Amino acid sequence: MTLVELATAVFATAESMDVPHMAVGAIAAGAYGIPRATKDIDLLVSVDQSRGIHQLIDGLGVIVEFDLQAQFDTITWGRRYVGTSRTVPPFKVELFEMFDDEFVRSEFSRRRRTFVPILGREVWLPAPEDVVVQKLRWGRSKDLDDARDVLAVQGQETLDMTYIERWCATHGTDQRLKDTLESLPPL
Amino acid sequence: MSNPHDHPTALKDLQDSIYREKVLRARAMTPEERIDSVFELSDLQLGMMLGGAMHRLGTKDPDEGWKEVRRWLDRLAYARDFRFYATQRPGAA
Repeated sequence: MTLVELATAVFATAESMDVPHMAVGAIAAGAYGIPRATKDIDLLVSVDQSRGIHQLIDGLGVIVEFDLQAQFDTITWGRRYVGTSRTVPPFKVELFEMFDDEFVRSEFSRRRRTFVPILGREVWLPAPEDVVVQKLRWGRSKDLDDARDVLAVQGQETLDMTYIERWCATHGTDQRLKDTLESLPPL
Repeated sequence: MSNPHDHPTALKDLQDSIYREKVLRARAMTPEERIDSVFELSDLQLGMMLGGAMHRLGTKDPDEGWKEVRRWLDRLAYARDFRFYATQRPGAA
């Protein structure tokens, strides 16, 4: 199974189960920055209390084996579930659960549909500003590279920099934003 | 011609030039084309990893190669996620 086939199945399952979601990670960063290879499909998923994320995990069970032990990122304490495709190659599928965080709620409310020719379907994506803010918030080396690439490719003149600066100030990542902008060569 | 790697300023100019080219190439693509590239690059890279794994193992069996690729990817995920993820929130019982 290729990543294309897996992604098509994952997005189709989420849609068919009427689970609000959007692609994050390399797919979102690649949409607005410099495309890079990835080994996983990351989804931010909004589930209600009654259904829970386990309904989607069960729905994906035919193609993805999930570790039912939730993990929490140590920056925001958001919850994620990690699964591995049952087919070869062994791609990862990571489900990030929506949680009570003002920025994540804003990010999700601004998601938009984009047609992806290779998948033959539309997918939900975050706005480019939200990719920058989220990547700067997490701050690992690959996240900072992704944030820099989105800022470079989109250009400050096309981005809502006020929105980005406001959230970076809220998250205490304004110096990271400044450093990232200063690291860009003249384009 | 001097080697740019011997001169910090020349090296930075070279790095900036390479990065600028990548950015301009990405700017010339539509968002749809960029997402397509993510998938194409990913499948290509995994194919390269399979080739590398089979070579390292000295095998012609792709199943063995994919098992090794999975082991590599698990190690990579562990290294990248180290201290970034926890199985309990602080203060959780």
